[in-house]
Amino acid sequence: MPRLPNTSPQTLSVLELLLESPRSWHYGYALSQLTGLKSGTLYPILLRLAEQGWLETRWTEPEQPGRPPRHTYRLTGEGAKAARTKLAEAAPSRMTRRLAFVPGSR
Amino acid sequence: MQMRGFLGRLADVLARQLLSWLHRRVEPGSREWLDALTAESECADDGWQRLRWALGGVPLVWTINQRGTVRARILLGVANIAAIAGWHAVIIQAIYVATHFFRCHLFFGNQPGGCQDHPFVFASIAIGGGVLGMIIALALRARFAAYWWAVISVFNTVGSVWYLRSGIVDLPQYGATQSAMLMAATFGVVLAAIMRDSPRAPASFLSRHRITARLIAGTISFAMADALIRMRDRHLVADNVNHYVVLGSAMFAAILAGLIGRHGSRLSAKGTIV
Repeated sequence: MPRLPNTSPQTLSVLELLLESPRSWHYGYALSQLTGLKSGTLYPILLRLAEQGWLETRWTEPEQPGRPPRHTYRLTGEGAKAARTKLAEAAPSRMTRRLAFVPGSR
Repeated sequence: MQMRGFLGRLADVLARQLLSWLHRRVEPGSREWLDALTAESECADDGWQRLRWALGGVPLVWTINQRGTVRARILLGVANIAAIAGWHAVIIQAIYVATHFFRCHLFFGNQPGGCQDHPFVFASIAIGGGVLGMIIALALRARFAAYWWAVISVFNTVGSVWYLRSGIVDLPQYGATQSAMLMAATFGVVLAAIMRDSPRAPASFLSRHRITARLIAGTISFAMADALIRMRDRHLVADNVNHYVVLGSAMFAAILAGLIGRHGSRLSAKGTIV
């Protein structure tokens, strides 16, 4: 059975993080550090979310001279709304999954 | 400590080289996300972290190149499979008809009264079939099928020369040589296909030294096939002629694959091939 779009645990963790401060711009490296996702997992997710119109992207000037401009991301209004719905829908199963890893929970 | 520093710098160089190589694999109009990943790699604390980050570019480039092309790739895959399977069906029937016409009672056999009495006919059919398959595959824009037929052509050509020189009756004892030739030709084609320059890519070492690249592909293929066969069959080591056959097969395959790649690149530039 094919998976519904944007319901993988990795995508949900990215959405959850972006929802914590939906109006702020986020850097890819920071997102990777905070979600624990590798760049090869994170960037295809960001690309897909941006293509679906859930994510806004922007190039920003580097903080240090000589560095290249950085790409930043934040949820669009539609994206934030859809992300809340997806997270709410996935909440019971995500909770079960988390509990499964708590020592003594089985 | 010095060693760790050296390895860190090496990882850093590898990461930058990998990112630069990946950039050449993506069309300029679709590089935004790879540029984003590359810019963030500057945040890595050391070379190893940067290399781990850069490795993420591989699935990203794959994702970028897959967008909107899945259907085209499936169609291309079907065309390639059809070109290979269809032509195999045709060539086998053609060989049956030809062997019947020339009163060869056997297909690929070497018993008395069989095709060994007509080696030139047999070689012509085998080589011609491979070359014709390659031409048809190129006409169908099925590049993978063209590479496939390149291997078959190389194998049949080198094999035919070898059989005509050594006598087809003694074929069974050259089993190891056949395997080596086939392996060398396959490696040669695969490596040359990987090394082919893309019209989208800026001028690189490979495009400036195309012949060198093909020769490298052939030599590497020879070395790989030879090493594998040495492990399997020590007889090959004693027979230097076999080495020349394997080397010739690899070089021939690499150059042929290079020509196919060049032809394919021209078609890509015209937008007629994926």
